[in-house]
Amino acid sequence: MLRILRTTSFRFTIIYVVLFAGAMAALGAYLYSATFGEAAKQTDTVIDSEISVLADLFSTSGSGMLTRVIRQRVAWSDDAIYMLIGAPSGAVLAGNLTALPPEALTGEGDFFNFKFEKPLVDAAGREVGIQQREARGKMMRFRAAPDAEQSYLVVVARDVAGREFLRSRSQSVVTRAALVTIAFGVVIGLMFSRSFLRRVEVVNKTTRAIRGGDLSQRIPTTGSGDELDDLGKNLNSMLDQIERLMAGMRDVSDNIAHDLRSPLTRIRNRLNSALEGSDDDKDIALRATIDDSDKVLATFNALLSIARIRSGEGAGVMEPIDIVAIAEEMAELYEPAAQDSGFEFTFITAPTPAIKGSRELVSQAIANFLDNALKYAEGGSHIELRVEPSKAGGAILSVSDDGPGIKEEDRNRVFERFVRLEQSRTTPGSGLGLSLVSAIARAHGATLELTDGLPQKNGDSFGLRIVMIFGPPE
Amino acid sequence: MRILLVEDDAEAAAYVAKGLREAGHVVDHALDGEAGLNMANSGGYDAFVIDRMLPKMDGLSLLSKRRDDGDETPALFLSALGEVDDRVSGLKAGGDDYLVKPYAFSELLARIEALGRRRAQPTGVTTRFQVADLELDVLTRTVRRAETKIDLQPREFRLLEYLMRHAGQVVTRTMLLENVWEYHFDPQTNVIDVHISRLRAKIDKDFDKPLLKTIRGAGYRLSEEP
Repeated sequence: MLRILRTTSFRFTIIYVVLFAGAMAALGAYLYSATFGEAAKQTDTVIDSEISVLADLFSTSGSGMLTRVIRQRVAWSDDAIYMLIGAPSGAVLAGNLTALPPEALTGEGDFFNFKFEKPLVDAAGREVGIQQREARGKMMRFRAAPDAEQSYLVVVARDVAGREFLRSRSQSVVTRAALVTIAFGVVIGLMFSRSFLRRVEVVNKTTRAIRGGDLSQRIPTTGSGDELDDLGKNLNSMLDQIERLMAGMRDVSDNIAHDLRSPLTRIRNRLNSALEGSDDDKDIALRATIDDSDKVLATFNALLSIARIRSGEGAGVMEPIDIVAIAEEMAELYEPAAQDSGFEFTFITAPTPAIKGSRELVSQAIANFLDNALKYAEGGSHIELRVEPSKAGGAILSVSDDGPGIKEEDRNRVFERFVRLEQSRTTPGSGLGLSLVSAIARAHGATLELTDGLPQKNGDSFGLRIVMIFGPPE
Repeated sequence: MRILLVEDDAEAAAYVAKGLREAGHVVDHALDGEAGLNMANSGGYDAFVIDRMLPKMDGLSLLSKRRDDGDETPALFLSALGEVDDRVSGLKAGGDDYLVKPYAFSELLARIEALGRRRAQPTGVTTRFQVADLELDVLTRTVRRAETKIDLQPREFRLLEYLMRHAGQVVTRTMLLENVWEYHFDPQTNVIDVHISRLRAKIDKDFDKPLLKTIRGAGYRLSEEP
């Protein structure tokens, strides 16, 4: 429960509720002053003008007229209250108040509120009881002359009980509505927070499982496309990447174990038996050992490069590069070697947009393709290096030969590290070349394909074509 | 040459020092970065060979400090870090060459001797090179042997130019690939050998004394001596 109160969504809801309640209060205050406030002011104005009318009447026509007019007004009006008292005698000359309200004595000429009792009359005009009413009024003293001994006290008031009732009624309604709104807001906030917490808890559960060592766990996404879903998707793709890296590391250690242990064992055994052999035997063993350790070192370097390129560390700076120029340089480097090995070498280009990449890695990939063709296209007579634009605005790099090719079912395995197809077991090489190319392709966001190459000389089958497709630079 | 070797692997250092001494060089050895810097400060070396990862002070800082003091002794970094970025940071710190472990001793020796040669001819003002009766003019881009003009492809010209700049020295395949083609990886096929044999066909074939020799297990040497 405490966790819910600490959630961001609950805090947001509370802030929202507070702001909303504040706005409601401001609106209420405005409505109040525009209705009840205005009405109260109007009552005061009416009382003031009534008093001035009565004062005029008194100064022009005297007390008799005043008494008569007040009696008339009392008879006509329902909510008007008057009282005329002669002073100093204190006799009530006219009016509908039975007694002078004590609040009137606080000061002449000031408004005051007071309560009074009014007989309750039924439809037939009979008195059936007494009711408490509220009123607001003003008391003034009239004198015929400033030094006249005789004076009159006039109380003019209005019955405001109906309005007061309405006001207290609407006050309680508004207060209750406000309380309900706030309570509602808090409940909704708690509900939001709970559903939010539940979804966050799913993420936490997944991360705990991953921390526990199960890297295959993924955050379930709802497909709603909201921000939590986005977060989940991003975390998942991050996890994919981490898992790939971990798999890469594991591959490297597996491969080191596999591919380095056997030559190292061979070296050890050879040296062991050479210890007992003649000087000539030792000589032969030492030379063979040097050759073997060179191979071990080459394999080791290749593995390290692959691991570093795969981790994104060894890729270096990715910048716009002219892939045609790079391929041209590689063609120039390899053409003599290809010709010496009995291949006809062709280099075909079309104007191709620049791609984003590393010159070093792309040329290394081309070198690997060409090394591969020279090594495995036995019996072939033609190697073709081709660079052309892709429809998507990127570049297509390919090397084709007319050698024995690779059976379709074996093609996928070619890019796996160390998988060397049975038929080429006898050819030298670490078997890491194409895996390195695969790592380079991934570093460039490029895809690799193996397809049919050039037609073989006897015409019934095709060699191998290895294709690397680069996307357009952003 | 007097060479300062800063390398924390004592056994590897002893092996390298022995090889360099056999090749006629004087070698001082330091086991960590600080000792290396102190020895380098005393001066008098023709080349530094510095491991990148050293105890107490890494190789990059060591060389940066010497370079800040105006020391221009040519330096070669040895490193297990061989990616492009590592190489660039090594060269930025003032290194003249960069060799990735593991390496063949012949490769190291060839590179150290190339560094010494670079120092002997301080600026690249030399535009004409001559080995026996083979002449190369960088400005007119012409090559002659015994007064016969030899036509070379642009890359063959650069290859020969590099060999002539390092005449009398062993030049490895990797050095050629790095300096003539500017690649830092080793192809699995003998691409360089084929280029060399094409060049040899042009500069040596029709003349009685071969100049471009293959040094088994190491590389090539362009020289008059057999």
